[in-house]
Amino acid sequence: MAATSRAIARGHAQVVDEPLFAWSGMWLAAAGFFVFYIGVRWYEGVYGWKYGLDSFAPEFETYWMNLLYAELVIEFGSLAALLTYLWKTRDRDIDRVAPREELRRYCTLYMWWVIYGIGLFWGASFFTEQDGAWHQTVIRDTDFTPSHIIEFYMSYPIYVMVGLGSFAYAKTRIPYFAKSWSVSYLMLTMGPFMIFPNVGLNEWGHTFWFMEELFVAPLHWGFVFFAWFILAMFGVFMQVQPRIRELIGREFQQSADYAR
Amino acid sequence: MNAFASAVRTPEEAAKISRTLDFLALGAFFFIFLASYHVHFMLLAGDWDFWIDWKDRRYWVTVMPIVSICYPAAMQAFLWEKFRLPFGATLVTLGLLFGTWANRYFNFHLFTYFPVAFVFPTVLLPLALILDATMQVFKSYAVTAIVGGMFYGLLLYPANWPLIAQMHVPVEYNGNVMSLADVMGFHYVRTGNPEYIRMVEKGTLRSFGKDVVPVSAFFSGFVCIVTYFTWYFVGRWFTRSYNTDAI
Repeated sequence: MAATSRAIARGHAQVVDEPLFAWSGMWLAAAGFFVFYIGVRWYEGVYGWKYGLDSFAPEFETYWMNLLYAELVIEFGSLAALLTYLWKTRDRDIDRVAPREELRRYCTLYMWWVIYGIGLFWGASFFTEQDGAWHQTVIRDTDFTPSHIIEFYMSYPIYVMVGLGSFAYAKTRIPYFAKSWSVSYLMLTMGPFMIFPNVGLNEWGHTFWFMEELFVAPLHWGFVFFAWFILAMFGVFMQVQPRIRELIGREFQQSADYAR
Repeated sequence: MNAFASAVRTPEEAAKISRTLDFLALGAFFFIFLASYHVHFMLLAGDWDFWIDWKDRRYWVTVMPIVSICYPAAMQAFLWEKFRLPFGATLVTLGLLFGTWANRYFNFHLFTYFPVAFVFPTVLLPLALILDATMQVFKSYAVTAIVGGMFYGLLLYPANWPLIAQMHVPVEYNGNVMSLADVMGFHYVRTGNPEYIRMVEKGTLRSFGKDVVPVSAFFSGFVCIVTYFTWYFVGRWFTRSYNTDAI
């Protein structure tokens, strides 16, 4: 691109747009999620049965506790790196962003949402209900069972990372979100984030009270309360619509598609 | 930033972008609301949904519609009111179906080896279709709450009966009468789910034995009306756009 920039600087070249939709990034991330979690599910299927049944065995330390320590370090490191990167590369002249570039950023934001949804699916849906199956297989002898190590300490932090990443992207690149704090967007990312700290309450209760797994136990309702905040996606979507209408609305109304 | 400067060059390009954003939003919504709904559902009604021997005449019939109508109502408040899209209830219900089936098959069955016939999820799609159809025909959330909500409660058992009836055939098992569902519950050992924890109808001295399902279904339908109203306004509240200058 350096040659292009020099040509533009000399004033005799048209600006070459970046494509509006960065498809490869989205598909790569989506595929990455599926490949990674299918691998995780395989690991769990093999080593959950082989070394995950007795948490006092030394193999449990090797195959499961080490995974826990490693994933926590990697997650916090990656989150810090992601947020730092998005902040460092923020648009410092956000009021002068060209309409086309602004539209491109909205397109990218939609892609962030897709990836956030996939992360939420694996975390809040797949591995959460999976824990119900594992609870009917072992009588747990630790709070850090194989399925908890994956559910609470791997899949939850990962979707939190994507959510916060999407928020940071909007905050640093899109004028609407840069100007003030979108409470809707904060609810969308902070609600699911609070599911993760609520694990503390859950384990505290399970450690002292009961071992049988009643999924509808009141101790679990904290998770439900925080999951409701994901509905703030409604508000976020309503926030981006007026600006998208401004950006493409006039042409869109002249299109054959619209007339139809 | 010039509000009148357009970001696109041709009407065709605008239409194409608009369509592409539609698909992206639909994909994102499917997974995002799936996850939210599934957490809500599994932790408020999950136990009845997991096991065939929890799918009884009293509690399952009552709890399941009341809990599961929340997200369809909220989703309709968003998709119908703002976009006149008549598939809010169906969209989230399909999402839940996807999430629960993925779990029952890949985890309950392939990971911990419970038979699929023991752990298949509740059928909710006919209920959602009625709700969406009511909204589209009457174009009123109040009518949808009252008519749709009532049918949402009433339809649960009929919609599921074809699947669960086979498991209610009685058998004599070591001298006791048990349904096949009971036998499955005893046979496929669940370490964290002792019999006493099962919340199912056990009979009372104040009940007439044969009307349990209809009475429960009507009660559920009435509560569904209230739940629908409540969650419609929850959906509306979440649809509003909030900003603040400081956090």
